[in-house]
Amino acid sequence: MTDEKKQEKTSEGEQNIKIDYENIDVADIMDQIKTKIAAQPKKEPELPLVESNYIPYAAAPPGLPPEAPSAKSKIKALLLKIMKPFSPLIRLLVLPVSHELAETVKTLDLTNKKLDYLSEKLHHDLFQLNESLNSRIEVVDKSMNKRLDLAFDDIGRIKEYTKLLHSLSHNVVVEMTKLKIEEENLKIKARILEKDFEFLGRREKALEDQVLK
Amino acid sequence: MKVAFVVQRYGLEISGGAELHCRWVTEHMQKYWDVQVLTTRAFDYITWKDHYPKGDDLVNNVPVKRFSVTKPRNPERFGRLQNYILTNEHRKEDEMKWLDEEGPLSPSLIRYIDEHKNDFDYFVFFSYRYYHSYWGINTVPEKSILVPTAENDPVVHLRIFKDLFRKPQAFIYNSVEERKMINRVSMNDHVLGEVVGVGTVVPSEVFVDDFRQKYDIKSDYLIYIGRIDKNKGCAELFEFFLRFKKETGSDIKLVLVGSTLLKIPSHPDIRYLGFLSEEEKFSALAGSLAMIMPSFYESLSMVTLEAWAKRKPVLANARCEVLKGQCLRSNAGLFYEDQDEFSEALNLLLSSPQLTDAMGKNGELYFNQNYTWEVIENKYLSVVDQLEKRKE
Repeated sequence: MTDEKKQEKTSEGEQNIKIDYENIDVADIMDQIKTKIAAQPKKEPELPLVESNYIPYAAAPPGLPPEAPSAKSKIKALLLKIMKPFSPLIRLLVLPVSHELAETVKTLDLTNKKLDYLSEKLHHDLFQLNESLNSRIEVVDKSMNKRLDLAFDDIGRIKEYTKLLHSLSHNVVVEMTKLKIEEENLKIKARILEKDFEFLGRREKALEDQVLK
Repeated sequence: MKVAFVVQRYGLEISGGAELHCRWVTEHMQKYWDVQVLTTRAFDYITWKDHYPKGDDLVNNVPVKRFSVTKPRNPERFGRLQNYILTNEHRKEDEMKWLDEEGPLSPSLIRYIDEHKNDFDYFVFFSYRYYHSYWGINTVPEKSILVPTAENDPVVHLRIFKDLFRKPQAFIYNSVEERKMINRVSMNDHVLGEVVGVGTVVPSEVFVDDFRQKYDIKSDYLIYIGRIDKNKGCAELFEFFLRFKKETGSDIKLVLVGSTLLKIPSHPDIRYLGFLSEEEKFSALAGSLAMIMPSFYESLSMVTLEAWAKRKPVLANARCEVLKGQCLRSNAGLFYEDQDEFSEALNLLLSSPQLTDAMGKNGELYFNQNYTWEVIENKYLSVVDQLEKRKE
């Protein structure tokens, strides 16, 4: 069945997971689910609630056309233009210090909230990193244990071989010593036989002389 | 042919996985062989204390011989020792001590096997991790068949079992994943092995309306059947299910059936029904939308097979290789590894009756092809037949 046909069989609730109902393939469905999850944005930790009456940098509500400037506003704009060079002085004199202070406090409060959010996010990320590291460590640990088991088995075998070799060498030395002693004995016997032979030769000669006489 | 089935516990009251598996197989194979069950007197699987009378017994017309447990298990000591050997470098002697502690310690059972080995053609051992299997197989390796019922837990990697897995004449595995795991652990590919599992009898008639009325369940529900335990993944299931409901606003309910070792969250959409009769259990299953199997460790989930037999799709824990493998082979279940996958897969099942229906049909087909008793019996006969041919 083609992808097109599969798509036809996809209902709205299934959110773009293509299924061939006549020939269900669980591996394919699970792959699609995994792909879909991977494509979704990662869930962030919940943001702290921000005071609803304070919306910094809020844009004007869309959809309202700008009003035509009235005569009053024209005079106001003109006055503001004339007074502009003196505006810092006027602000200093006219605006209450408490208002400036309140503004600063609010800004600080907002900054604190942002810092809290970032700190929480950092903790969350660190926790996730820790979790993933732990699971990796576990995998490495398991594999190391398996390798260690194998290594210990090998060491055991090598120990056995070493013992065998040791015992073999010992036996070889004993055998060599025995052979050496045997060789010495045989040499002595050969010397005795040589002497005997020499003596017998002399005796033969003496007997020949005796007989010939 | 005379065949002995050797198992740690045996009785009608025992509902444990491997023990029930053994009883069902024995009762079915009685048609073909002269069977004899060799077991201990234990009933409690924590302490293995003697419970049943010693000697001969008859359970559903199957002759059973029970042997005493000489030393009950001390769970605390056993826990400490197991923790030690699983987390520390240790010697084989430590593992042998662990095996004695694991029990059920019944030397008379092993002695009987040794003295009567010539009276039997084969000994079928159930559950590799207990005393009876280890020493039994070492006593009669030439006549042993092992049904390991192994889960992917760290115990399977102990050194004593590497050797043990090379000794029997044949293996009867519960799943392809179990075979792979044991092959990997012990390199015993040369030993004859068949993936068989266990059959189940599904009642043809169920009473869904009666069940709904009795327990006042009106809306759609998912079902979990089994021991409600953290080790079975139930704590995670509660968390995932409640978060899914919070995120989606779904009105689906979760019905729990079985004994509980875990505090069940007090929530109107989680209904705990306790232990149900077989008839009610199958009615509950038949009335559900799908079954959830959150367990991390399963060698073969009988209840999953029962769900498929009743044409119900399954949502399983993907971290259990066996469950994942069965879902993939049957094309009758989805699986999850985390909250996102749980929510997506469940959402898909709930939003598509066509999918649940198609998966249910696949499940039924998979069950009929692999897990009816006729199929299981033939596989057991085939294993023994192959061993007999080897002898010739």
